[in-house]
Amino acid sequence: MSKITIPLGPQHPALKEPENFMLVLEGEQISGATVNLGYNHRGMEKAAEERTYIQDLYLIERVCGICSHSHTTCYITNVEELAKAETPKRALAIRALFGELERVHSHLLWLGVAGYEMGFETLFMYTWRDREQVLDCLELLSGNRVHYSINTLGGVRRDITAEQKAEVLKRIQYLKERTNYYIKLATEEPTVLARTQNVGKLPLDVAIERGAVGPTARASGLARDVRKDEPYLIYNELDFKVITHDSCDVFGRLVVRALELVESYKMIEQILNNLPEGPIAVKVPMRIAPGEAVNHYEAPRGEDIHYLKSNGTDKPERLKVRAPTLANLQSVAYMLEGGWLADVPLVIAAIDPCMSCTDRAAVWDPKKGKTQVYGWEELRKMSIEQYRRRGVDFTRL
Amino acid sequence: MTDLAREEKVKSDIEARFAGAVSNALVQRRNRVWLEVAPEKLPELMAWLKAEGFDHLATVTGFDEGENLGAYYHATDTKMIVNVKVRTPRANPSLPSVLASFPGALSYERELEDMLGIKIAGLPPGRRYPLPEDFPTDQYPLRKDWKFVPPANETEAK
Repeated sequence: MSKITIPLGPQHPALKEPENFMLVLEGEQISGATVNLGYNHRGMEKAAEERTYIQDLYLIERVCGICSHSHTTCYITNVEELAKAETPKRALAIRALFGELERVHSHLLWLGVAGYEMGFETLFMYTWRDREQVLDCLELLSGNRVHYSINTLGGVRRDITAEQKAEVLKRIQYLKERTNYYIKLATEEPTVLARTQNVGKLPLDVAIERGAVGPTARASGLARDVRKDEPYLIYNELDFKVITHDSCDVFGRLVVRALELVESYKMIEQILNNLPEGPIAVKVPMRIAPGEAVNHYEAPRGEDIHYLKSNGTDKPERLKVRAPTLANLQSVAYMLEGGWLADVPLVIAAIDPCMSCTDRAAVWDPKKGKTQVYGWEELRKMSIEQYRRRGVDFTRL
Repeated sequence: MTDLAREEKVKSDIEARFAGAVSNALVQRRNRVWLEVAPEKLPELMAWLKAEGFDHLATVTGFDEGENLGAYYHATDTKMIVNVKVRTPRANPSLPSVLASFPGALSYERELEDMLGIKIAGLPPGRRYPLPEDFPTDQYPLRKDWKFVPPANETEAK
Protein backbone atom coordinates (compact mmCIF):
# COMPACT_ATOMS: atom_id res chain seq x y z
CA MET A 1 0.00 0.00 0.00
CA SER A 2 1.36 3.42 -0.89
CA LYS A 3 2.14 5.89 1.84
CA ILE A 4 0.48 9.27 2.09
CA THR A 5 1.33 12.15 4.37
CA ILE A 6 -1.47 14.20 5.81
CA PRO A 7 -1.28 17.30 7.98
CA LEU A 8 -3.33 17.32 11.18
CA GLY A 9 -3.57 20.93 12.33
CA PRO A 10 -2.56 23.63 13.15
CA GLN A 11 -6.30 24.26 12.86
CA HIS A 12 -8.28 21.05 13.23
CA PRO A 13 -11.58 20.17 14.92
CA ALA A 14 -9.91 17.42 16.97
CA LEU A 15 -7.26 19.73 18.39
CA LYS A 16 -7.95 22.22 21.13
CA GLU A 17 -4.84 24.25 20.47
CA PRO A 18 -2.77 25.11 17.42
CA GLU A 19 -0.13 22.46 16.81
CA ASN A 20 0.67 20.53 13.69
CA PHE A 21 1.21 16.78 13.26
CA MET A 22 2.48 15.45 9.96
CA LEU A 23 1.17 11.89 9.82
CA VAL A 24 2.52 9.32 7.38
CA LEU A 25 -0.31 6.89 6.74
CA GLU A 26 -0.41 3.39 5.31
CA GLY A 27 -4.10 2.92 4.96
CA GLU A 28 -5.54 3.75 8.36
CA GLN A 29 -2.31 2.98 10.18
CA ILE A 30 0.28 5.57 11.10
CA SER A 31 3.85 4.70 10.15
CA GLY A 32 5.49 8.00 11.05
CA ALA A 33 4.65 11.22 12.84
CA THR A 34 6.39 14.54 13.38
CA VAL A 35 5.26 17.33 15.66
CA ASN A 36 5.53 20.96 14.62
CA LEU A 37 5.02 23.69 17.15
CA GLY A 38 5.26 27.41 17.59
CA TYR A 39 1.83 28.56 16.41
CA ASN A 40 1.06 29.93 19.84
CA HIS A 41 4.44 31.51 20.61
CA ARG A 42 3.85 34.87 22.24
CA GLY A 43 7.40 36.02 23.00
CA MET A 44 6.77 36.06 26.74
CA GLU A 45 10.39 35.47 27.75
CA LYS A 46 11.43 38.60 25.85
CA ALA A 47 8.45 40.54 27.19
CA ALA A 48 9.38 39.56 30.75
CA GLU A 49 12.76 41.30 30.40
CA GLU A 50 11.02 44.61 29.80
CA ARG A 51 8.75 44.44 32.85
CA THR A 52 9.37 44.70 36.57
CA TYR A 53 9.23 41.63 38.78
CA ILE A 54 5.76 42.50 40.03
CA GLN A 55 4.45 43.20 36.50
CA ASP A 56 5.91 39.90 35.33
CA LEU A 57 3.72 38.14 37.84
CA TYR A 58 0.67 39.09 35.78
CA LEU A 59 2.39 38.21 32.53
CA ILE A 60 3.54 34.80 33.77
CA GLU A 61 0.09 34.01 35.09
CA ARG A 62 -1.07 34.20 31.47
CA VAL A 63 1.41 31.62 30.18
CA CYS A 64 -1.37 29.08 30.65
CA GLY A 65 -5.09 29.37 31.16
CA ILE A 66 -5.27 26.24 33.31
CA CYS A 67 -2.07 26.08 35.33
CA SER A 68 -1.77 29.83 35.89
CA HIS A 69 -0.95 29.27 39.56
CA SER A 70 1.78 26.74 38.71
CA HIS A 71 3.71 29.21 36.59
CA THR A 72 3.49 32.12 39.02
CA THR A 73 4.45 29.91 41.96
CA CYS A 74 7.47 28.58 40.10
CA TYR A 75 8.47 32.10 39.03
CA ILE A 76 7.93 33.57 42.47
CA THR A 77 9.97 30.82 44.15
CA ASN A 78 12.91 31.92 42.02
CA VAL A 79 12.41 35.61 42.79
CA GLU A 80 12.06 34.96 46.51
CA GLU A 81 15.14 32.72 46.48
CA LEU A 82 17.20 35.52 44.91
CA ALA A 83 15.71 38.20 47.17
CA LYS A 84 16.28 35.90 50.19
CA ALA A 85 12.72 36.62 51.27
CA GLU A 86 11.36 34.66 54.24
CA THR A 87 7.89 33.87 52.93
CA PRO A 88 5.50 33.19 55.85
CA LYS A 89 4.43 29.60 56.39
CA ARG A 90 0.76 30.50 56.07
CA ALA A 91 1.38 31.96 52.61
CA LEU A 92 3.19 28.78 51.52
CA ALA A 93 0.26 26.69 52.76
CA ILE A 94 -2.23 28.85 50.84
CA ARG A 95 -0.10 28.52 47.70
CA ALA A 96 -0.09 24.74 48.08
CA LEU A 97 -3.87 24.80 48.61
CA PHE A 98 -4.35 26.69 45.35
CA GLY A 99 -1.91 24.33 43.64
CA GLU A 100 -4.02 21.33 44.60
CA LEU A 101 -7.35 23.00 43.79
CA GLU A 102 -5.87 23.84 40.42
CA ARG A 103 -4.81 20.22 39.92
CA VAL A 104 -8.35 19.06 40.71
CA HIS A 105 -9.85 21.49 38.23
CA SER A 106 -7.28 20.57 35.58
CA HIS A 107 -7.69 16.80 36.02
CA LEU A 108 -11.50 17.01 35.98
CA LEU A 109 -11.26 19.08 32.83
CA TRP A 110 -8.98 16.48 31.28
CA LEU A 111 -11.28 13.63 32.26
CA GLY A 112 -14.04 15.42 30.37
CA VAL A 113 -11.88 16.01 27.30
CA ALA A 114 -10.78 12.36 27.33
CA GLY A 115 -14.42 11.27 27.58
CA TYR A 116 -15.30 13.53 24.68
CA GLU A 117 -12.43 12.24 22.51
CA MET A 118 -13.36 8.61 23.15
CA GLY A 119 -16.98 9.32 22.20
CA PHE A 120 -18.28 9.13 25.77
CA GLU A 121 -19.89 12.55 25.99
CA THR A 122 -21.86 11.80 29.14
CA LEU A 123 -18.57 11.62 31.01
CA PHE A 124 -17.64 15.00 29.55
CA MET A 125 -20.94 16.52 30.76
CA TYR A 126 -20.58 14.97 34.23
CA THR A 127 -16.99 15.99 34.92
CA TRP A 128 -17.36 19.51 33.60
CA ARG A 129 -20.44 19.99 35.74
CA ASP A 130 -18.52 18.76 38.80
CA ARG A 131 -15.55 20.89 37.87
CA GLU A 132 -17.73 23.92 38.52
CA GLN A 133 -17.57 22.99 42.20
CA VAL A 134 -13.81 23.45 42.33
CA LEU A 135 -13.94 26.58 40.17
CA ASP A 136 -16.46 27.96 42.65
CA CYS A 137 -14.00 27.18 45.46
CA LEU A 138 -11.28 29.09 43.63
CA GLU A 139 -13.61 32.02 42.98
CA LEU A 140 -14.69 32.03 46.61
CA LEU A 141 -11.10 32.15 47.83
CA SER A 142 -9.51 34.44 45.26
CA GLY A 143 -12.32 36.23 43.42
CA ASN A 144 -11.35 34.62 40.11
CA ARG A 145 -12.10 31.31 38.45
CA VAL A 146 -9.07 30.93 36.19
CA HIS A 147 -6.39 33.56 36.81
CA TYR A 148 -6.59 33.57 40.59
CA SER A 149 -3.81 36.15 41.08
CA ILE A 150 -3.32 34.89 44.62
CA ASN A 151 0.48 35.08 44.50
CA THR A 152 2.41 38.21 45.19
CA LEU A 153 6.10 38.77 45.86
CA GLY A 154 6.68 37.67 49.45
CA GLY A 155 3.39 35.86 50.03
CA VAL A 156 -0.23 35.73 48.95
CA ARG A 157 -2.81 38.49 48.49
CA ARG A 158 -5.79 37.08 50.39
CA ASP A 159 -6.25 35.23 53.60
CA ILE A 160 -8.69 32.37 54.18
CA THR A 161 -11.58 32.79 56.62
CA ALA A 162 -13.29 30.08 58.66
CA GLU A 163 -16.46 30.37 56.51
CA GLN A 164 -14.46 29.93 53.32
CA LYS A 165 -12.73 26.89 54.79
CA ALA A 166 -16.07 25.28 55.68
CA GLU A 167 -17.49 25.96 52.22
CA VAL A 168 -14.44 24.52 50.42
CA LEU A 169 -14.45 21.39 52.61
CA LYS A 170 -18.15 20.87 51.88
CA ARG A 171 -17.58 21.00 48.13
CA ILE A 172 -14.53 18.73 48.37
CA GLN A 173 -16.71 16.17 50.16
CA TYR A 174 -19.12 16.21 47.21
CA LEU A 175 -16.25 15.89 44.71
CA LYS A 176 -14.83 12.93 46.63
CA GLU A 177 -18.05 10.98 46.15
CA ARG A 178 -18.25 11.89 42.49
CA THR A 179 -14.61 10.94 41.93
CA ASN A 180 -15.17 7.47 43.41
CA TYR A 181 -17.80 7.03 40.72
CA TYR A 182 -15.37 8.18 38.01
CA ILE A 183 -12.70 5.78 39.24
CA LYS A 184 -15.19 2.94 39.02
CA LEU A 185 -16.19 4.12 35.56
CA ALA A 186 -12.61 4.45 34.34
CA THR A 187 -11.59 1.01 35.54
CA GLU A 188 -14.74 -1.04 34.86
CA GLU A 189 -16.77 0.52 32.05
CA PRO A 190 -16.26 -1.71 28.95
CA THR A 191 -16.43 1.19 26.43
CA VAL A 192 -13.69 3.07 28.26
CA LEU A 193 -11.51 -0.03 28.47
CA ALA A 194 -12.01 -0.88 24.80
CA ARG A 195 -11.18 2.64 23.75
CA THR A 196 -8.11 3.24 25.91
CA GLN A 197 -6.30 -0.02 26.57
CA ASN A 198 -3.21 -0.58 24.42
CA VAL A 199 -3.73 2.77 22.71
CA GLY A 200 -0.87 5.27 22.53
CA LYS A 201 1.77 3.04 24.09
CA LEU A 202 4.77 4.73 25.70
CA PRO A 203 7.20 2.19 27.25
CA LEU A 204 9.16 3.23 30.33
CA ASP A 205 12.54 3.48 28.56
CA VAL A 206 11.10 5.71 25.82
CA ALA A 207 9.37 7.89 28.41
CA ILE A 208 12.73 8.48 30.10
CA GLU A 209 14.60 8.98 26.85
CA ARG A 210 12.12 11.52 25.49
CA GLY A 211 11.87 13.39 28.77
CA ALA A 212 8.19 12.74 29.52
CA VAL A 213 6.86 14.40 32.68
CA GLY A 214 3.83 14.32 34.97
CA PRO A 215 0.92 11.89 34.63
CA THR A 216 2.18 10.91 31.16
CA ALA A 217 5.45 9.68 32.66
CA ARG A 218 3.80 8.21 35.78
CA ALA A 219 1.44 6.14 33.62
CA SER A 220 4.55 4.56 32.09
CA GLY A 221 5.70 3.47 35.54
CA LEU A 222 8.12 6.37 36.09
CA ALA A 223 7.61 7.41 39.72
CA ARG A 224 8.59 11.05 39.31
CA ASP A 225 6.80 13.85 41.06
CA VAL A 226 8.54 17.07 42.06
CA ARG A 227 6.25 17.32 45.11
CA LYS A 228 7.89 14.14 46.44
CA ASP A 229 11.34 14.35 44.87
CA GLU A 230 12.20 17.89 45.83
CA PRO A 231 9.37 19.07 48.09
CA TYR A 232 8.61 22.77 47.71
CA LEU A 233 6.07 24.93 49.61
CA ILE A 234 4.82 22.64 52.40
CA TYR A 235 4.66 19.33 50.53
CA ASN A 236 7.19 17.70 52.87
CA GLU A 237 4.55 17.95 55.63
CA LEU A 238 1.66 16.55 53.62
CA ASP A 239 0.70 12.92 53.47
CA PHE A 240 0.14 11.76 49.89
CA LYS A 241 1.12 8.99 47.50
CA VAL A 242 2.73 9.25 44.07
CA ILE A 243 0.34 7.43 41.74
CA THR A 244 1.89 5.32 39.02
CA HIS A 245 0.56 2.76 36.58
CA ASP A 246 2.50 0.32 34.44
CA SER A 247 0.12 -0.16 31.50
CA CYS A 248 1.96 2.60 29.54
CA ASP A 249 -1.19 3.47 27.55
CA VAL A 250 -4.08 5.95 27.55
CA PHE A 251 -5.88 3.76 30.10
CA GLY A 252 -2.95 4.18 32.50
CA ARG A 253 -3.01 7.95 32.05
CA LEU A 254 -6.72 7.91 32.82
CA VAL A 255 -6.28 5.86 35.99
CA VAL A 256 -3.31 7.94 37.19
CA ARG A 257 -5.23 11.21 36.87
CA ALA A 258 -8.38 9.82 38.47
CA LEU A 259 -6.44 8.49 41.48
CA GLU A 260 -4.41 11.70 41.75
CA LEU A 261 -7.69 13.53 42.29
CA VAL A 262 -8.19 11.53 45.49
CA GLU A 263 -4.67 12.43 46.67
CA SER A 264 -5.35 16.10 45.97
CA TYR A 265 -8.59 16.03 48.02
CA LYS A 266 -6.61 14.49 50.86
CA MET A 267 -4.03 17.26 50.67
CA ILE A 268 -6.64 20.05 50.44
CA GLU A 269 -8.24 18.77 53.65
CA GLN A 270 -4.88 18.48 55.39
CA ILE A 271 -3.88 22.01 54.44
CA LEU A 272 -7.20 23.58 55.44
CA ASN A 273 -7.36 21.72 58.74
CA ASN A 274 -3.77 22.58 59.72
CA LEU A 275 -3.40 26.06 58.29
CA PRO A 276 -0.48 27.70 60.14
CA GLU A 277 -1.23 30.98 61.91
CA GLY A 278 0.60 34.18 61.09
CA PRO A 279 0.98 36.85 58.43
CA ILE A 280 0.32 36.06 54.76
CA ALA A 281 3.03 38.21 53.16
CA VAL A 282 6.34 39.96 53.77
CA LYS A 283 7.75 42.93 51.91
CA VAL A 284 10.16 42.20 49.07
CA PRO A 285 12.30 45.01 47.64
CA MET A 286 11.63 46.21 44.07
CA ARG A 287 15.25 45.57 43.10
CA ILE A 288 16.33 41.96 43.32
CA ALA A 289 19.93 41.11 44.22
CA PRO A 290 22.03 39.79 41.30
CA GLY A 291 22.08 36.04 40.95
CA GLU A 292 20.69 32.99 39.24
CA ALA A 293 18.09 30.51 40.38
CA VAL A 294 16.36 27.51 38.89
CA ASN A 295 13.31 25.84 40.39
CA HIS A 296 10.77 23.27 39.31
CA TYR A 297 7.16 22.68 40.24
CA GLU A 298 4.75 19.80 39.72
CA ALA A 299 2.03 21.38 37.58
CA PRO A 300 -1.10 19.32 36.79
CA ARG A 301 0.51 18.26 33.49
CA GLY A 302 3.94 17.58 34.93
CA GLU A 303 7.21 19.25 35.76
CA ASP A 304 7.29 22.98 35.07
CA ILE A 305 10.77 24.52 35.26
CA HIS A 306 11.79 28.18 35.41
CA TYR A 307 15.25 29.73 35.27
CA LEU A 308 15.71 33.31 36.43
CA LYS A 309 18.74 35.58 36.27
CA SER A 310 18.66 38.95 37.97
CA ASN A 311 21.08 41.83 37.39
CA GLY A 312 20.36 43.93 40.46
CA THR A 313 17.66 46.09 38.85
CA ASP A 314 13.88 45.81 39.17
CA LYS A 315 13.65 43.86 35.89
CA PRO A 316 14.91 40.32 35.23
CA GLU A 317 17.93 39.83 32.98
CA ARG A 318 16.62 36.52 31.65
CA LEU A 319 13.62 34.38 32.42
CA LYS A 320 13.18 30.94 30.93
CA VAL A 321 9.91 29.03 31.16
CA ARG A 322 9.51 25.41 30.11
CA ALA A 323 5.95 24.21 30.46
CA PRO A 324 5.21 20.48 30.80
CA THR A 325 3.42 20.09 27.46
CA LEU A 326 6.61 20.94 25.55
CA ALA A 327 8.43 18.17 27.38
CA ASN A 328 5.64 15.70 26.60
CA LEU A 329 5.15 16.44 22.92
CA GLN A 330 8.30 14.54 21.92
CA SER A 331 6.63 11.46 23.40
CA VAL A 332 3.42 12.01 21.44
CA ALA A 333 5.21 11.42 18.14
CA TYR A 334 6.28 8.04 19.48
CA MET A 335 2.81 7.18 20.84
CA LEU A 336 1.20 7.88 17.46
CA GLU A 337 3.55 5.70 15.42
CA GLY A 338 2.09 2.29 14.69
CA GLY A 339 -1.32 3.37 15.93
CA TRP A 340 -4.54 4.07 14.06
CA LEU A 341 -5.73 7.36 12.62
CA ALA A 342 -8.97 7.20 14.63
CA ASP A 343 -7.00 7.13 17.89
CA VAL A 344 -4.99 10.25 17.11
CA PRO A 345 -7.23 12.79 18.92
CA LEU A 346 -7.41 10.57 22.01
CA VAL A 347 -3.67 9.96 22.13
CA ILE A 348 -2.92 13.67 21.77
CA ALA A 349 -5.51 14.55 24.41
CA ALA A 350 -4.03 11.94 26.75
CA ILE A 351 -1.01 14.11 27.55
CA ASP A 352 -3.45 16.93 28.33
CA PRO A 353 -2.35 19.85 26.20
CA CYS A 354 -4.06 22.91 27.65
CA MET A 355 -6.82 25.40 26.87
CA SER A 356 -8.60 28.23 28.64
CA CYS A 357 -12.15 28.93 29.68
CA THR A 358 -14.47 31.37 31.37
CA ASP A 359 -18.20 31.53 31.93
CA ARG A 360 -18.76 35.25 31.58
CA ALA A 361 -19.65 36.82 28.28
CA ALA A 362 -19.19 40.47 27.35
CA VAL A 363 -21.61 41.47 24.61
CA TRP A 364 -21.17 44.58 22.54
CA ASP A 365 -24.40 46.02 21.24
CA PRO A 366 -23.68 47.94 18.02
CA LYS A 367 -27.11 49.67 18.08
CA LYS A 368 -26.71 51.08 21.55
CA GLY A 369 -22.93 51.30 21.15
CA LYS A 370 -22.23 49.91 24.60
CA THR A 371 -20.81 46.79 26.20
CA GLN A 372 -22.70 44.74 28.74
CA VAL A 373 -21.26 41.97 30.87
CA TYR A 374 -23.62 39.07 31.58
CA GLY A 375 -23.28 36.98 34.71
CA TRP A 376 -24.26 33.37 35.21
CA GLU A 377 -27.85 34.09 36.35
CA GLU A 378 -28.58 36.35 33.37
CA LEU A 379 -27.07 33.88 30.89
CA ARG A 380 -29.14 31.10 32.44
CA LYS A 381 -32.32 33.18 32.22
CA MET A 382 -31.62 34.02 28.59
CA SER A 383 -31.02 30.37 27.64
CA ILE A 384 -34.20 29.23 29.37
CA GLU A 385 -36.10 31.99 27.56
CA GLN A 386 -34.63 30.96 24.20
CA TYR A 387 -35.62 27.32 24.68
CA ARG A 388 -39.10 28.31 25.87
CA ARG A 389 -39.59 30.12 22.57
CA ARG A 390 -38.78 26.83 20.86
CA GLY A 391 -41.33 25.00 23.01
CA VAL A 392 -39.02 23.37 25.57
CA ASP A 393 -39.38 24.33 29.21
CA PHE A 394 -36.25 24.13 31.38
CA THR A 395 -37.57 26.43 34.12
CA ARG A 396 -37.64 23.71 36.75
CA LEU A 397 -34.02 22.65 36.22
CA MET B 1 22.97 23.75 57.42
CA THR B 2 21.84 20.70 55.53
CA ASP B 3 24.28 18.05 54.49
CA LEU B 4 25.58 18.69 50.99
CA ALA B 5 27.62 15.50 50.63
CA ARG B 6 25.82 14.26 47.52
CA GLU B 7 26.05 17.65 45.80
CA GLU B 8 29.77 17.92 46.61
CA LYS B 9 30.37 14.41 45.31
CA VAL B 10 28.69 15.13 41.96
CA LYS B 11 30.73 18.32 41.68
CA SER B 12 34.06 16.67 42.48
CA ASP B 13 33.31 13.65 40.25
CA ILE B 14 32.71 15.96 37.29
CA GLU B 15 35.80 18.03 38.09
CA ALA B 16 37.96 14.90 38.30
CA ARG B 17 36.60 13.32 35.13
CA PHE B 18 36.57 16.44 32.99
CA ALA B 19 39.68 18.09 34.43
CA GLY B 20 40.69 21.14 32.44
CA ALA B 21 37.35 21.46 30.68
CA VAL B 22 35.20 22.30 33.72
CA SER B 23 35.33 25.63 35.53
CA ASN B 24 33.35 27.69 38.06
CA ALA B 25 31.78 24.60 39.62
CA LEU B 26 29.56 25.59 42.54
CA VAL B 27 27.22 23.93 45.00
CA GLN B 28 24.69 26.76 45.33
CA ARG B 29 22.44 25.10 47.88
CA ARG B 30 20.82 21.74 48.51
CA ASN B 31 20.02 20.03 45.18
CA ARG B 32 21.59 22.74 42.99
CA VAL B 33 24.97 22.30 41.26
CA TRP B 34 26.22 24.83 38.70
CA LEU B 35 29.25 24.49 36.46
CA GLU B 36 30.70 25.61 33.17
CA VAL B 37 32.18 23.31 30.55
CA ALA B 38 34.10 23.84 27.31
CA PRO B 39 31.62 23.43 24.39
CA GLU B 40 33.55 20.55 22.75
CA LYS B 41 33.21 18.49 25.96
CA LEU B 42 29.46 19.15 26.30
CA PRO B 43 28.10 15.98 24.58
CA GLU B 44 30.50 13.81 26.58
CA LEU B 45 29.54 15.47 29.87
CA MET B 46 25.83 15.16 29.11
CA ALA B 47 26.24 11.47 28.28
CA TRP B 48 28.08 10.98 31.57
CA LEU B 49 25.37 12.82 33.53
CA LYS B 50 22.73 10.62 31.91
CA ALA B 51 24.62 7.49 32.88
CA GLU B 52 24.92 8.82 36.46
CA GLY B 53 21.14 9.02 36.78
CA PHE B 54 20.53 12.61 35.68
CA ASP B 55 18.52 11.19 32.82
CA HIS B 56 16.00 14.01 32.44
CA LEU B 57 17.11 17.11 30.54
CA ALA B 58 14.50 19.47 31.99
CA THR B 59 15.22 22.25 29.53
CA VAL B 60 17.92 24.34 27.85
CA THR B 61 18.11 28.06 28.60
CA GLY B 62 19.83 30.17 25.98
CA PHE B 63 21.34 33.51 27.01
CA ASP B 64 23.12 36.56 25.63
CA GLU B 65 26.01 37.93 27.71
CA GLY B 66 27.24 40.45 25.16
CA GLU B 67 30.65 39.11 24.05
CA ASN B 68 29.38 35.58 24.28
CA LEU B 69 26.17 33.73 23.68
CA GLY B 70 25.53 30.48 25.44
CA ALA B 71 23.19 28.05 27.09
CA TYR B 72 22.41 26.30 30.33
CA TYR B 73 21.58 22.59 30.17
CA HIS B 74 19.45 21.74 33.20
CA ALA B 75 19.92 18.00 33.77
CA THR B 76 18.08 16.42 36.67
CA ASP B 77 16.98 13.23 38.35
CA THR B 78 14.01 15.40 39.53
CA LYS B 79 15.74 15.67 42.92
CA MET B 80 18.99 17.43 42.10
CA ILE B 81 19.42 19.83 39.17
CA VAL B 82 22.86 20.05 37.54
CA ASN B 83 23.09 23.27 35.53
CA VAL B 84 25.74 22.99 32.83
CA LYS B 85 26.77 26.27 31.26
CA VAL B 86 28.48 26.59 27.88
CA ARG B 87 29.57 29.76 26.14
CA THR B 88 30.31 30.45 22.50
CA PRO B 89 31.64 33.66 20.87
CA ARG B 90 28.99 36.00 19.45
CA ALA B 91 30.98 36.40 16.22
CA ASN B 92 30.58 32.73 15.30
CA PRO B 93 28.19 31.09 17.76
CA SER B 94 28.10 27.31 17.56
CA LEU B 95 27.43 24.46 19.99
CA PRO B 96 27.45 20.69 19.56
CA SER B 97 24.14 18.84 19.75
CA VAL B 98 23.29 16.66 22.77
CA LEU B 99 20.63 14.66 20.91
CA ALA B 100 22.77 11.52 21.04
CA SER B 101 22.11 11.21 24.77
CA PHE B 102 18.91 13.27 25.08
CA PRO B 103 16.63 12.80 22.02
CA GLY B 104 13.91 14.80 23.80
CA ALA B 105 16.05 17.93 23.53
CA LEU B 106 15.14 18.49 19.87
CA SER B 107 12.81 21.44 20.42
CA TYR B 108 15.13 23.00 23.00
CA GLU B 109 18.02 22.98 20.53
CA ARG B 110 15.87 24.34 17.69
CA GLU B 111 14.87 27.13 20.03
CA LEU B 112 18.55 28.05 20.55
CA GLU B 113 18.99 28.32 16.78
CA ASP B 114 15.81 30.32 16.26
CA MET B 115 15.79 32.67 19.23
CA LEU B 116 19.53 33.30 19.71
CA GLY B 117 21.13 32.30 16.41
CA ILE B 118 23.42 29.70 17.95
CA LYS B 119 24.25 27.13 15.31
CA ILE B 120 23.77 23.61 16.65
CA ALA B 121 26.13 21.15 14.98
CA GLY B 122 24.41 17.82 14.42
CA LEU B 123 20.79 18.98 14.48
CA PRO B 124 18.68 17.00 11.97
CA PRO B 125 16.87 18.96 9.24
CA GLY B 126 13.30 19.96 10.01
CA ARG B 127 10.93 22.84 10.42
CA ARG B 128 12.07 25.78 12.56
CA TYR B 129 10.78 26.27 16.09
CA PRO B 130 9.27 28.39 17.62
CA LEU B 131 9.26 31.32 15.18
CA PRO B 132 6.87 31.43 12.22
CA GLU B 133 8.03 30.32 8.78
CA ASP B 134 8.09 33.87 7.38
CA PHE B 135 10.16 35.36 10.22
CA PRO B 136 13.48 36.81 8.95
CA THR B 137 16.26 34.25 9.36
CA ASP B 138 18.88 36.84 10.36
CA GLN B 139 17.00 38.16 13.39
CA TYR B 140 17.26 36.58 16.81
CA PRO B 141 14.65 37.94 19.26
CA LEU B 142 16.25 36.78 22.50
CA ARG B 143 19.51 38.63 21.82
CA LYS B 144 19.79 41.70 23.97
CA ASP B 145 20.22 44.09 21.02
CA TRP B 146 16.99 42.92 19.36
CA LYS B 147 14.08 45.26 19.85
CA PHE B 148 10.54 44.72 18.73
CA VAL B 149 9.57 47.08 15.91
CA PRO B 150 5.91 46.89 14.90
CA PRO B 151 5.50 46.29 11.15
CA ALA B 152 4.75 49.45 9.13
CA ASN B 153 1.54 48.08 7.64
CA GLU B 154 0.01 47.21 11.00
CA THR B 155 -3.36 48.90 11.46
CA GLU B 156 -4.72 49.84 14.81
CA ALA B 157 -7.94 48.13 15.87
CA LYS B 158 -10.70 50.67 16.03
